[in-house]
Amino acid sequence: MTPRIELAGVSKRFGSRQVLDGLDVAVMPGESLVIIGGSGTGKSVTLKCILGLIPVDAGSIKVDGQEVAGLKGAALDAHRTRFGMLFQGGALFDSLPVWRNISFALPGSTADRMAAAIDNLARVGLSAEVADLKPAELSGGMQKRVALARAIAARPPIIFFDEPTAGLDPITAAVINRLIRTLVTDLKITAITITHDMASVRLIADRVAMLHAGKIIWNGPLAGLDACDNAYVRQFITGSADGPIQMPGARP
Amino acid sequence: MIAALVAIGAPVLAALASIGRLTRFAATALSRLLQPPWYPAQLAQQMLVIGWLSLPVVGLTAIFTGSALAQQIFIGGSRFNAASTVPAVTVIGVVRELGPVLGGLMVAGRVASAMAAELGTMRVTEQIDALVTLRTDPFRWLVGPRILAAVLVMPFLVLVSNALGVMGGWLLATQRLGFNSAQYLATTQRYLEVDDVVSSLVKAGVFGFFIALMGCYHGYHSGGGAAGVGRATTNAVVSSFILILLSNLIITVIVFGS
Repeated sequence: MTPRIELAGVSKRFGSRQVLDGLDVAVMPGESLVIIGGSGTGKSVTLKCILGLIPVDAGSIKVDGQEVAGLKGAALDAHRTRFGMLFQGGALFDSLPVWRNISFALPGSTADRMAAAIDNLARVGLSAEVADLKPAELSGGMQKRVALARAIAARPPIIFFDEPTAGLDPITAAVINRLIRTLVTDLKITAITITHDMASVRLIADRVAMLHAGKIIWNGPLAGLDACDNAYVRQFITGSADGPIQMPGARP
Repeated sequence: MIAALVAIGAPVLAALASIGRLTRFAATALSRLLQPPWYPAQLAQQMLVIGWLSLPVVGLTAIFTGSALAQQIFIGGSRFNAASTVPAVTVIGVVRELGPVLGGLMVAGRVASAMAAELGTMRVTEQIDALVTLRTDPFRWLVGPRILAAVLVMPFLVLVSNALGVMGGWLLATQRLGFNSAQYLATTQRYLEVDDVVSSLVKAGVFGFFIALMGCYHGYHSGGGAAGVGRATTNAVVSSFILILLSNLIITVIVFGS
């Protein structure tokens, strides 16, 4: 079967810093891949490279078997119609009410778009009363749900979740995790999630990949995560300060 | 020797690169303005924000400056028996220079900073990336409407500024300096020429373009969190001030220099 997303040898450098260094990873249709890794290892950059927000220096990115690295103009726009994205901070448009945020990319009349927005609000467990509020009037958890509703509004076959539980309390984070898992399963979405949160990993992932020093250093099913003997993965999932992963700038 | 050349060359190259980036940004914004989709609601909102909401600050600046100008011309003119030139010099000074330049500077202070802060915040909170992933071109949705709105409303603002500046001079001259109201207005009308008004409106359009361009450019390329947005805001105001004063000089020399 052709992978829905396949990255091979993807490299990206910012100035003197090599962020991605020959990254290889593939995601099958309907699969939920969670990429874990320390801060600044290039997890968000990976997603932005697939979306064409950041150009890659080298390597191949294929979606449904088609090369998408280097796409421009209308072809890039068409490529992006296959994706929904939940940004780390929500990235809701401050100046627009919730319903216009959710229906931003949807065609149709105002009434149709409002109805679609309310339908998607219901999917993420929010009432229609929220529709006319501005994002600044919502709590962090509600903003994440609205951003989630926006990401699924156009029913894209692929959704990226960038740190979906960052900054949320544990209960709200659990609600968001469960919501993501339900949406991915119900809507048969292919998903890539990047997170530090091991609770998210265990709830969302079908498969887990660990990114370190610009490369995927471990990739396997969720069930194999705890039995994994990779020292980097062990240190990450146990949250230990001792191990091969050192914080950038830390004293040896 | 090489170190000295590097010290000179590096900033020159950086400046040239900045000019190149700005030119490409402006060219992209203008080319996207000519192609659909257009967003009239965004344009209308920006015209309201830039035009209507700038009226108080532009109006007050014009009245105070026109009054002060009339007072200064009266005092200066009295030294060589030319106090009667107050209405003529005031209208020429206000319409040719002070109306557009001070109006432009006040709008730049208000609007370029707001644009840079808004777009800069959108950049650092990934709202601009979100726009792109939702298949919306930020140049069409954010930049184009702001530039077009500024170019369209600045002439209107400067017309108001000119009128209020002249009115400020008239008020002071008739209430404090003893000028006859009807004579003052007749002299003002006699000395005001079409070229004065046209050059004023041309300047206004050019200033509007630079104000919105600088606000959008610095905001769009903002980075580095809150400090980066702060830098973008400062750079937007300073660079739009410089471009307003420079373009004013160039237009003045072209229109009135011969």
